[in-house]
Amino acid sequence: MGSRAGRSAALSVTSATIAAALLLAACGRTAGSSGTATQSPTKGLVATTAPGTKPVASVTWALYRDVNSLDPIYAFDYPENTAVSLMCESLLKQSPSGAIEPGLATLSTPSPTKLVFTINPGAKFWDGHPVTTADVLYSLDRNTNASLGGFYGLVFNRVASIAATGSSQVTITLKQPDYWLQGELASIPGVVIEKAFAVKQGKKYGTPTGSIMCTGAYKLKSFVPGVGVTAVPNASYWNPAVKPLVQQIVLKGVASDTTLTSGLTTGAIQGTYLSGGLSTLPQLQSGGAVTITRGPGWFTDAFIVSNTKGVLADVRVRRALSLALDRRAIISNVYKGAALMPRWLSNPGSFGYGKAVFDRAYLASPLMSKNIAEARKLVQEAGATGKTFTIGTSAQIQNIAAVTGAYQAAADAIGLKTVLKSVSAQNYINFFIDPKARAGIDGFLTVNYGDYADPASMLATLVLPGGSQNYDNFNDPQIIAWLEQARSTADPNARAALVAKAEKRVATLLPWIPDAQPVSVLIMSKGLTGATASFAYMFAPWANSLGGR
Amino acid sequence: MRLAFIGRRLAMLVASLAVASFVIFGALYLAPGNPIAALSGGRSLPPSSLRILEARYHLNQPFLVQYWYWLDNALHGNLGISITLRENVTTLIASRAWTTAGLVLYASVIILALGIGMGIAGGLRPGLLDTSVLVTSAISAAIPAFVAAIALVALFAVKLRWFPALGNGTDLLSNVRHLTLPAFALGLSSLAIVARVTRSAIREEAGREHVQTAISRGIPRRQLVRRHILRNAAIPITTISGITIASLIAVDAVVETAFSLNGLGAYLVTSAQDKDLAVVQGISLVLVTAFVVINVAVDLAYAVLDPRVALGSRAT
Repeated sequence: MGSRAGRSAALSVTSATIAAALLLAACGRTAGSSGTATQSPTKGLVATTAPGTKPVASVTWALYRDVNSLDPIYAFDYPENTAVSLMCESLLKQSPSGAIEPGLATLSTPSPTKLVFTINPGAKFWDGHPVTTADVLYSLDRNTNASLGGFYGLVFNRVASIAATGSSQVTITLKQPDYWLQGELASIPGVVIEKAFAVKQGKKYGTPTGSIMCTGAYKLKSFVPGVGVTAVPNASYWNPAVKPLVQQIVLKGVASDTTLTSGLTTGAIQGTYLSGGLSTLPQLQSGGAVTITRGPGWFTDAFIVSNTKGVLADVRVRRALSLALDRRAIISNVYKGAALMPRWLSNPGSFGYGKAVFDRAYLASPLMSKNIAEARKLVQEAGATGKTFTIGTSAQIQNIAAVTGAYQAAADAIGLKTVLKSVSAQNYINFFIDPKARAGIDGFLTVNYGDYADPASMLATLVLPGGSQNYDNFNDPQIIAWLEQARSTADPNARAALVAKAEKRVATLLPWIPDAQPVSVLIMSKGLTGATASFAYMFAPWANSLGGR
Repeated sequence: MRLAFIGRRLAMLVASLAVASFVIFGALYLAPGNPIAALSGGRSLPPSSLRILEARYHLNQPFLVQYWYWLDNALHGNLGISITLRENVTTLIASRAWTTAGLVLYASVIILALGIGMGIAGGLRPGLLDTSVLVTSAISAAIPAFVAAIALVALFAVKLRWFPALGNGTDLLSNVRHLTLPAFALGLSSLAIVARVTRSAIREEAGREHVQTAISRGIPRRQLVRRHILRNAAIPITTISGITIASLIAVDAVVETAFSLNGLGAYLVTSAQDKDLAVVQGISLVLVTAFVVINVAVDLAYAVLDPRVALGSRAT
């Protein structure tokens, strides 16, 4: 999520973008624009591309900035996630559709508070050593080891103990049932690294002069800051069904839109996932050098209401603002069509389980369409006419600035006034982490996501008390109860039904106001195919089928 | 004399480094933002992780204490650890210094060869040639490096496919190929300035009394140009060349970013944005040193070009 000067990073708060009118036309209609219960809300999006069939000598894959670390416990942004997910594997695996499958281990749940992982007998690291229970215990423990300061410690907060309970068996005992943990263990927190290797590396693990030891089909060749992370096939990959076809993948940070565009056009760059807006997308689309694939996105473009006291503290005003927002303009101007009209806060691309339940509930919810008359009425009822709210924004981040403009227009149309507090691109991040930066503003914009394909994954961070993104101390007992219950519910459909209820209520209470649901955009040069097209690329190997067509 | 000159220059270098390091550290400290933020993109980190990282990098200490930590280490040859890469700053800088050095050198060669060449040609041959030098230099002086980069890539990389659009290359030959467009983008406007100054210096010298006298004495043109015009015009040409080449160090960040090169300039910008203090300090020291060294070289050149100039005093 970042943004650095223009399309940078820290702010990936920017937005994923893209894709053009051509694609839209091919799609038939903008998904979600009408919608009956028989249709999928993500119709027209594909999670995978056809597997590659031919070997390829070398692929340069662009990231919005260089990779900083290959240590999974510090992977918290697009570049690091993409690099770790290329080479490393988790206990469980997220398929491109978001479903959770066996990974390095298979899971059984003899009781709601016990997760028993049986390590796949063939699983081994790049150096040929088999994956042992010691490696699994060590890898999981690193997440919560206070001296390391990893970023995923909180996801283990229902864990009572983790222990080896057999030669190839690890048991996680929970304080109370936690069906969200499985999703996390199919994501970055579940990555298993080799204990002996990591202990020897110490602080150097995952740094440029250090190295890493994982299990994936691609292994690390070199990590040179400024040059990139180079991965080569792991000839002795433990899963014989996978045959890596690309002799070398270089993950390289490319800072500007222009450079990315000329690189993709000339073939100096052969692939990328968009994590921010790309102004030149229509140009690439018509240039013919690349194919652009749109997959289900698990992220949401939203307005975070961060002030408990201001005019937005009144739910009627939030609803009015939401009703007045021209989301179609945001989708066409900011996302060039590569986003869906929201019905909920969470992206319908993130329905990784209980799909039928989610789809039905989602499509039964109203589209968040514009209704100025209704919005004006709500503002009057709330007695808020003429009142002012302050938006934290950055004029230097194109997408943020554009969506801010849409909010100003919406406020204008319903008799509210706006003040902007604009900061530089690199300081935008402070709204998220520094309460002082949030003082005096009523809200700011984000593109946000959870760690796995579950609407609850992101939702929990903003509606549960103490959630890392619950800036306005939002506290709705009903929503909290449904989500807590969902977390403890084994049956996927029952869990989906509970999360759906919470989503519906969130969509009326609007702790955050959804702006658009971006789709995941994969760009590859014409000769390439096989990369994961959905947002799953952030959390699970995405190049195992990559190759020439 | 020589020793005193070198001693004075060394003292100046040390003083510049000390002042620069303090000012840069202070400026970056005062700038809002949190270096830890660069690690997490736009999402919130758990507060416990934030606290651990802040303690690890002394970010919770007062300014002077932080600066002292850095200075103490730097005096012991340790430039510190990058927060984003968890790596030694020395290692990180060393791996990128060659790109920047190569790029600045390549651009300097272009500026000196083409700039001075065009200036001399225009200065000595009034008429069509001179007019075209004037027009060309007027246009290229007005093109900022980032625009030049886009235009050069659009024409020579995307359209004609003569040169690669980005990256560094793997061996010497491909390095040169990869650095050609960046070097032109970097040098273009400086080249124009050098050409213009050279042209007017030549014009001025050619109109001087001693040159007219030499002409009337029937001294051959070749000798006239070399001994009477170029030699005297060399001082302003050296001055402007020194200044423009030293200034390349500053512009180079833009070009490196545009061509995705792994040089110091682009890295300085990213690190400053990330508030990665140790890296910014390290690169600044290298750049300040380079700047001082180029100026010393210019001073030495004055003394060589004009024996009347005492070493270390500015030629006029």
